[in-house]
Amino acid sequence: MFFTILICKILRFLGGLLGRGSSWPGKIALKLFPDILSYLKYPDTVIAVTGSNGKTSTVEMIAHVLKEGGLKVAYNKEGSNQTEGVTTFLLNDATLGGRIKSDAVLLESDERYMRRSFRFFHPRYLIITNLYRDQMTRNGHPEWIYDIIERGIHDDMTLVLNADDPLVSKFGAGREGTLYFGADHLDCDTSVNDSIYDDGKYCPICKKPMEYEYYHYNHIGKYRCTSCGFARPDTRWSLTGTDLENGNITINGKYKIPLTFNGIYHCYNTLAAFAAADLAGISKEKAAEALGGYILKSGRIVDFTLDKCEGRLLLSKHENSISYDRSIDVVVKDPAKVNVMFIVDAISRKYFTSDSSWLWDIDFEKLNTGNIGKIILAGKYCNDLAVRFEAAGIPAGKTEIFETVMEASLYAGNLTDYLYVITCFSDKEKILSLVKRKELS
Amino acid sequence: MKASILYLYYDFMNLYGDNGNVRIMEKRLRDQGFDVEVIRKTITDDDISFEGFDLIYCGSGTESRLFAAAEHLKAFEDGFKSAVAAGTPVLFTGNAWGMLGRSITSHDGKKTGGLGLFGFDVREEIKQRFTGDAVESAKGFDKQFIGFINKCDVIDGFDGYMFKVEKTIGQIPYAQDGVRKDNLFGISLIGPVLVKNPFFAEYLVRLIDERHGVTYREERYEHEEKGYRMTLKALTE
Repeated sequence: MFFTILICKILRFLGGLLGRGSSWPGKIALKLFPDILSYLKYPDTVIAVTGSNGKTSTVEMIAHVLKEGGLKVAYNKEGSNQTEGVTTFLLNDATLGGRIKSDAVLLESDERYMRRSFRFFHPRYLIITNLYRDQMTRNGHPEWIYDIIERGIHDDMTLVLNADDPLVSKFGAGREGTLYFGADHLDCDTSVNDSIYDDGKYCPICKKPMEYEYYHYNHIGKYRCTSCGFARPDTRWSLTGTDLENGNITINGKYKIPLTFNGIYHCYNTLAAFAAADLAGISKEKAAEALGGYILKSGRIVDFTLDKCEGRLLLSKHENSISYDRSIDVVVKDPAKVNVMFIVDAISRKYFTSDSSWLWDIDFEKLNTGNIGKIILAGKYCNDLAVRFEAAGIPAGKTEIFETVMEASLYAGNLTDYLYVITCFSDKEKILSLVKRKELS
Repeated sequence: MKASILYLYYDFMNLYGDNGNVRIMEKRLRDQGFDVEVIRKTITDDDISFEGFDLIYCGSGTESRLFAAAEHLKAFEDGFKSAVAAGTPVLFTGNAWGMLGRSITSHDGKKTGGLGLFGFDVREEIKQRFTGDAVESAKGFDKQFIGFINKCDVIDGFDGYMFKVEKTIGQIPYAQDGVRKDNLFGISLIGPVLVKNPFFAEYLVRLIDERHGVTYREERYEHEEKGYRMTLKALTE
């Protein structure tokens, strides 16, 4: 073990000098000592976070709160969330004798790979943020991922679940000691789900229809199966108020937290971080104070100037319709007249795929509102976007179609209204390399 | 002049943006001068009639939903078979065409009967999923079908396939795919297959026109055509 940890630390150091990724030292360590993670001595607080959306942001916020609370924290801040990346950061934090030096370990765990890491050690708490239609070219579908996650859950782990997502709360059905977080009835709730599809319409257990008292967004809300009794469980940590206009939330009716980003998904991430801090022994007052106004380093928002216009990039995820839906919500709620650009140039950074089916799950229909000026469709998949926008009833004169981001940017830069750009990690640099970034305030 | 589409399990089997197929057919049929009506039926309905439709469509679902839909559809087997025998255009995409065979066995060994239109049995895997892009060909079509497959079905010992899988990128073990009987088509490609393959949408529209005794009205679908050419090039280069 001594030798393997030493090698991993040296490779990590050399990798840092050479600018290599964070996975390969762990990969080599696992070749030398395949079950080394079983032999490490972990601190009492080991928290893993998995789910479709919000893992990176939630882990980053938990790390921030725990540090503010005086704990030394180890976590995969580079976001490499597969077993090799986890091995790298754990061994890097360990003494040569195998004791983790930090007071708390945080793991951002890939949904598909967490069970591999958890063969060797078990986190005390597993937080599951949500299970959406996400990267289905590799993930299959949410139920497929549910089954994979379930195989990684062990009896000695305490589940901390989003009560408002029925597929997530199913993990806790019949499992004693499960803890839940979620939102109470909020001002922004709706009584109907008018998204393109509704993954909460049928019970994840018996497949019979479910009824919702209210929806926070998409299929996230307060539900109850009309047949088997499965229902949203009570929560230990509750979002009791959101004032998204002024950018603050209230947790458990008492802890008011000003937010820098005011999307509903950010409220959930903040709530999950609050729950984790509470479980790690940080006082609720301290947690609320530390989370207040925190600006994410892994921020999904970039403000910029592009020639004659000011704008904001809302980083979303290709192959994840809910992520796009939430960004579209931000755009249509802007009281000013705005233009919006969608870039789908590379669905994956690694390979070409023909699969643009996820575009038909996104609620582009919402863009049929008065505040939307031009809609600019850019990238290799601009034709797929154009067909989808036509089906959404967007008048042809409103859309401009460009095969390259450069052409689209030249066009957009000559418009004076505010510009939102919605795209994914795989395409973001194509626009950010053409704009002048501004500091977020 | 009215055209009716029956969208089966519209909210239950719509996993991969499959709704796009119905939406694109609505538009294309309107372009032909039809008043288009879409009738949506689902798992809670006990009154499904297949008579008088110009197109019957069903898309992909999770494995547990496919199983539930197959059990549900079995109650309407006779009506469905009559519609197929009458030459109604029918399209089942993704894993939905698994319901057209003799049986489906889930990964945990549960078995349910299919509609029995074809002599195959579907067995679902749990450990591996077959995902990737595919280029397929079929007799009677001079263009290749393109799209994505995302399922975990294995079909053993069946030789009545419709499509030849010419090329795959990813983890696809299939050399052949899908079925055809009269105007019923089953294909494993997911999502808006008729958007991705505009020639196939046109084929179905011509079929519907013909059944109404109407001459096909030539229309241009520029973005679908460009998208098809771009994707075919990228997949076959």
